[in-house]
Amino acid sequence: MAVPGSGLAFELKIPFPSSTLAKIALGSLAPDPEPRKGGITKELNVTEDTLHVRWRAEEARILRVSISSFLEHLSLVVETMDLFGPPMA
Amino acid sequence: MPIVIGFEGSANKIGIGIVRDGEVLSNPRRTYVTPPGQGFLPGDTARHHRSCVLTVLREALEEAGLKPQDIDAVAFTKGPGMGAPLVTVAIVARTVAQLWGKPLLGVNHCVGHIEMGRLVTGAKNPTVLYVSGGNTQVIAYSEHRYRIFGETIDIAVGNCLDRFARVLKISNDPSPGYNIEQMAKKGQKLVELPYTVKGMDVSFSGILSHIEDVAHRMLSAGQCTPEDLCFSLQETLFAMLVEITERAMAHTGSSEALIVGGVGCNERLQEMMGIMCRERGARLFATDERFCIDNGAMIAQAGWEMFRSGQVTALEDSWITQRYRTDEVEVTWRD
Repeated sequence: MAVPGSGLAFELKIPFPSSTLAKIALGSLAPDPEPRKGGITKELNVTEDTLHVRWRAEEARILRVSISSFLEHLSLVVETMDLFGPPMA
Repeated sequence: MPIVIGFEGSANKIGIGIVRDGEVLSNPRRTYVTPPGQGFLPGDTARHHRSCVLTVLREALEEAGLKPQDIDAVAFTKGPGMGAPLVTVAIVARTVAQLWGKPLLGVNHCVGHIEMGRLVTGAKNPTVLYVSGGNTQVIAYSEHRYRIFGETIDIAVGNCLDRFARVLKISNDPSPGYNIEQMAKKGQKLVELPYTVKGMDVSFSGILSHIEDVAHRMLSAGQCTPEDLCFSLQETLFAMLVEITERAMAHTGSSEALIVGGVGCNERLQEMMGIMCRERGARLFATDERFCIDNGAMIAQAGWEMFRSGQVTALEDSWITQRYRTDEVEVTWRD
């Protein structure tokens, strides 16, 4: 869903060791909606072993806050996988 | 014999506990303590939880002597609470639930306190006073809901105490409320404060503004001591809480009162509530700081009840929510 009049976009592609781990990251990071009501959208999906994230925002400030919070959460997911993985069959 | 692990991090405590059929197997916790005069802010609190959540998780498993495959379900606090700390802890819960292939259970924090209180004390159907830094509610169970009989119309009682502690620069270690309680024991003089019970509800923000306004003036004029102010504030706030709890017990005809939440480990509050209960021929149930103060086992215990009654939370429904009222939860595990 595009934000009307939005000029800013940002895209991240995060490779994981397997598609299972990429899907787990998606499952951990996707449920919480963006805290603010408007002005930004974030889409997540997985193709094979890569997690894709696409942002669209009206203001650079809002975009920066969302990306930096996402990266912190992502590093927490990866650290959790390292310490409490690998996935059980 | 389901074993449930519970993750709690809705305020300044991060706790992870493991419960098996009413037995607490482990319950490690860390508290984010701020300098005197300062409260805890969401971003800083989330960073604190982030820095120790995985260590606490390891401790919880080691103390319980369990491996991930022994766990049957992963419970976490869905809300209410501060957004950033809630998300941080929920992300770890979701990740391990998926890694270990276990179902998730999104728990209402307030319901966690009630279920832990019932488990630890053995109270069957109590009128519950839930008092903490973020919540103040009088609750009774009826028809599959924990119904709110009365609550604060502005700030929580614990928030009133915490913010008063900041005015006097009282230490936040181990908690501002604990230090106020110790100082109050040395209070000699009752300073009159507003008493604001409004029907079944209470209001604390006016009392806080009043005491903030008079504290420094009275102290510098030598009219009272900091200990007198701690004593007076506790006596006033707790009298209000006892009054609305007693009124709820009269409504429900209940003969049990249960105090839960962080403020619930205050022994003066327990003493005052105990006097009221004795006069009514009722029994008071309370717990100590291990289970009153936010902890992981309470989330595991509420999760255990949910799991046993057939509930699970789908990953896509596991979003956290800062607002989540106690009476929104359908209590599927009680008659």
